[in-house]
Amino acid sequence: MNWPQLLITVATIGSIFGVVTLALNLQYARGGMINFGIVAYFAVGAYTYAIFTQPSPKGLDQYAFGLDWPWWAGVLAAGTAALAFAALTGWPTLRLRGEYLALTTFAFAEVFHSFLLNERRIGNGTVGLSNVERPFGDWGPIEEKYVFAAVAALLLLATLLAFRQLLASPYGRALDAIRDDEVAAESSGKPAANMRRQVFLISAVPVGLAGAVYAMFTTLAQPSLFTAEVTFIVWIALVLGGERSVYGAMLGAFGLVFFEEVVRAWPFETVRSAQIAASVEHIFTGLLFIAVLRFQPFDRIQRRMKART
Amino acid sequence: MLFLQYLTAGIVTGCFLILATIGFSLTRQVEGFLNIAHAELLGIGAFTTWWLNASQGWHILIAGPAAVIFTALVGLVIARTIYDPIRRRGPAVLLITSTGVAFVIGGVIDAMVGTGIRTLDIGLATTYKPFGIRVTDYQIIVVALAAAVSVSLALFLNRTRIGLAIRARAVNPELAASRGIDVRTTSRVTWLLSSGLAGVAGVMLAVIATLTTDLPFHQILQILAVAILAGLGSLYTVIASGLIIGIAMDVSVYWIPAGYRPLVAFSIVIIVLLFRSEGLAGTKAA
Amino acid sequence: MTEAQPAGVHTVDALLEVDGISKRFAGIQALGGDRGLTVDIGRGAFVGLIGPNGAGKSTMFNLLSGVLPADSGTVIFDGKDITTATSHERAEHGIGRTFQTPRTFESLTVLENVVVGATSPGEQLRSAFGRSWRRHEAGLVDHARDILGQVGLADREAEPVTDLSGGELRMLGVARQLIRRPTLLLLDEPTAGVHPLLQDRLAELLVELHSGGMTLVVVEHNLHFLLAIAEHILVLTQGRLLAQGPPADIRGDPAVISAYLGEDHAA
Repeated sequence: MNWPQLLITVATIGSIFGVVTLALNLQYARGGMINFGIVAYFAVGAYTYAIFTQPSPKGLDQYAFGLDWPWWAGVLAAGTAALAFAALTGWPTLRLRGEYLALTTFAFAEVFHSFLLNERRIGNGTVGLSNVERPFGDWGPIEEKYVFAAVAALLLLATLLAFRQLLASPYGRALDAIRDDEVAAESSGKPAANMRRQVFLISAVPVGLAGAVYAMFTTLAQPSLFTAEVTFIVWIALVLGGERSVYGAMLGAFGLVFFEEVVRAWPFETVRSAQIAASVEHIFTGLLFIAVLRFQPFDRIQRRMKART
Repeated sequence: MLFLQYLTAGIVTGCFLILATIGFSLTRQVEGFLNIAHAELLGIGAFTTWWLNASQGWHILIAGPAAVIFTALVGLVIARTIYDPIRRRGPAVLLITSTGVAFVIGGVIDAMVGTGIRTLDIGLATTYKPFGIRVTDYQIIVVALAAAVSVSLALFLNRTRIGLAIRARAVNPELAASRGIDVRTTSRVTWLLSSGLAGVAGVMLAVIATLTTDLPFHQILQILAVAILAGLGSLYTVIASGLIIGIAMDVSVYWIPAGYRPLVAFSIVIIVLLFRSEGLAGTKAA
Repeated sequence: MTEAQPAGVHTVDALLEVDGISKRFAGIQALGGDRGLTVDIGRGAFVGLIGPNGAGKSTMFNLLSGVLPADSGTVIFDGKDITTATSHERAEHGIGRTFQTPRTFESLTVLENVVVGATSPGEQLRSAFGRSWRRHEAGLVDHARDILGQVGLADREAEPVTDLSGGELRMLGVARQLIRRPTLLLLDEPTAGVHPLLQDRLAELLVELHSGGMTLVVVEHNLHFLLAIAEHILVLTQGRLLAQGPPADIRGDPAVISAYLGEDHAA
C-alpha cells in the first residue's frame, strides 16, 4: 500500500474535485440552484483542452480536430468553453426552479454525454482522446506528480479566494438575501434572475479549468470519465462537508476522494473482492449522504456554537 | 416497411416505459416528489428475478411475481425509513435524498451481482412475422402486460375505496387530508403499488433487455421524460406519453444514429419543461 | 365611483397614475371590477387605504410594486410608464413597500437586514472583486444605524433576526425600505402586532417622513392610527374604489360604514 503515492494522488484529484465542489457550493448554497448536470461543464473543459492541444488526427484516429496549440491556450479555451456552455444551457433553464432545474441540468448533461459518445469527429467516441498534452514534466528536482499536485492546489486556492472575495462583498450579501426571500430582495432592488445567471456563469469557469487540469493529469478525455456518477460524487462531497461552508465543501471533496482512492489502491486478493469493496464504499457513502441530509449535524453544530458566544 | 418495423419496436418500448413510469408518476402525484431511486427499484426487480430464476432455478412464472412482491416491500421500507421522516423538508430535499438512495441501491446491486451480462433461464424468444414485421413473443408479453396493468390499475383507482382515496390525494392533497382520508394508509398502499409496478417493469427488463448492473440507472432518464411529458394528470396521460416517447425514440433511428435514442427522450424533457411545464395533463405543478 | 380624482392635499401633481388596473385569481375578480381601478396619488400625499378583508388592498399593493403583473391597465410613476417593469426595477425607480407578513433575510443580522436594503456599488459583479465598495460600506452602515434608531431597534443590531418579535420584524421591514429613501412608500398594515408605544413612534416617524417630502400610502385596519395622520383616504371594497376623501368625511360616510359592517355578512 503505497501511501506517499496515494496521498499525492488524493492531493491532486481532491483539489480538482474540490474546485468543482466549490462551484456547486456557490450555485446551491448561495445561489439556490440545484445543478444535477455539473459534470457536463467539467467534461466541456476537459474535451476543449484536449481538442485544442492535441495534434491533428492521423491514422486510425476518428476525431476531426486537433489544433496542437500550447497548453495555456488550451486552458484558456477550456474556461471559455465552459462559460459558453453555461450561457447556452443557462439561458433556457434558469427560469425553472428546484426540482425542474435539477431535471433540465441533468438532461443537458446526459445529452452532452450522448453527444460525446456519438459524435466521433469531435470526441473520438468511446475511446476518447488520448493525445492530451501533458505540459509539465519534472521541474528540476521536483518530480512531475508533485508539480501536478501543486498546480491543482493552486487552482483550488485561486477559486477559493475568488469566491470568498465575492461572497464577502455586498454582492454576496445580496445573494444571501435573494436566497432567503426573493420577493423581499426584489423589493429592495436586487435583480434576482440576473444575479442567479451571473453566479451560474462565473462558477462554470473554474469547473472548466478543473476539467482541463484533469485531462492533463489523466492524459485522457473519455466519455466514461464524465458520467452522472461524477455529479453525484460532487453532490455527496458538498453535503458531507455541510452544504453551506466553503471549507466544508473542500473538506468533503478531499475526504471523499481519499476514501475512494484508498479503496481503489488497496491490495485486494481478487478482482471480485476489489469490486465488492468499491461497491461497499458507494453504499457507505450513500448512506452517510442520506444521514447527513436528514440529521443536518452541521447546522446543529453551528447553532450550538452561535448559542455559546 | 422498415418504418413499420421501427414503429412496432417503438410500441414495445413505449409499453415498457408505461410500466416503468406509472409507479413513478404515482409517487410524484401522491407523495409530491420525484423519486430518482425508482429506476433502481427496476434493478431490484430485474436482478431478484435473475437470481431466483437463473441462480436458484425457479421457474420464471414464480420468480417474476416473487420479485415483484419483494420489490414492493423494499420500496415500502425505504419510504417509511428514509422518506417519511423528512417529508416536511420539501420536494427538493426529497429529490436530492432519493439520489442518495439510488446510489446506495446501485451499490448493493453491484456488490451482490458483479459486472457482466446476466441472462434469465427462459426459452429463447420465438419470432413471429405478422404482415412481414418481426416481433418476438416476449415483446408481445410486454405489450399485453402493459395493457393488463393499465386496466387493472384504472379499475383499482376508480372502483375501490383505497384507489379513490389515492386519486383524491393525488389531485388535491390538502383537501383530501381535511376530508379525513387516511394519509398513512394511502401512503403505504401507494408505495407498495408504485414499487411493485417498478418490480414488474424490472422483470420485463430482465426478460427483453441485455441485463447489466448499470442498465437500471439509464432508465431513469427515459422515465423522467415520460413523467414530465405526462404531467400531473391521470393514468391516461402516462400511457399516451409513454407511447409517444417510445415511438419517437425508436422511429428516430430511421433518421439519426441509434446511439442518440436517449437524446430524443431528453430533448422532449427539455422542450416540455421550457414551453409547457404541465405536460399533457395541463394542470400546473404545485 | 371610479373616475380619476387627484388624491393628495394641495397639488394636482400626480406622482402615481393608476389607470384601469385589474387582477383575477382563479376566476375571482380580486381587483378592478368592470372597468378596472383608476386612481391618482398626488406627489407628497399621505394616503390611507382602508377596506374590509378581501377588498383587494394587498392585491393593489402587489400590482403597484410589481410583485404581480396586472391583467389590464397602466401604471405611470413620476411620468414613466412602469406597467411592465419588474419588482426590482420599480424599487430602483423609487417605489418602496413593506409586506403584510413581515419578510426577512434570516441568514443576515438585524443591521445587515437594513444595509442590504440599499443598493451598494459592491453589488455589481465587477466591483465585488475590487475594493472601491468598502468606502461606501461605512457610510451605509452609519445610515443603517440611524434608521434602526428611528424605528427603535438600535440596540438589537447584532442579533439574528429570528430573535425579533413580529412587531419588531415589521419595523425592520420599514427600516429596510427607508435606507433607499424611496419617493413613494407603500406600507402594508405597519401596526399589526406592534406595541402601542411603538405605534406612537411609528406615527411620528411617518409624519416626519411625510413632511420631508415622501409620498406615503398606508394600508391599515387600525383606523384609529390611520385616520389621525393620513390626509386622504381611499376606501376599497370588493376590488373597487368605494369612496375617497379626507378622514373626517370618510369617518361619517354611511356607505363606508356599511361596507365595514357588511364584512360580518360577507361570504
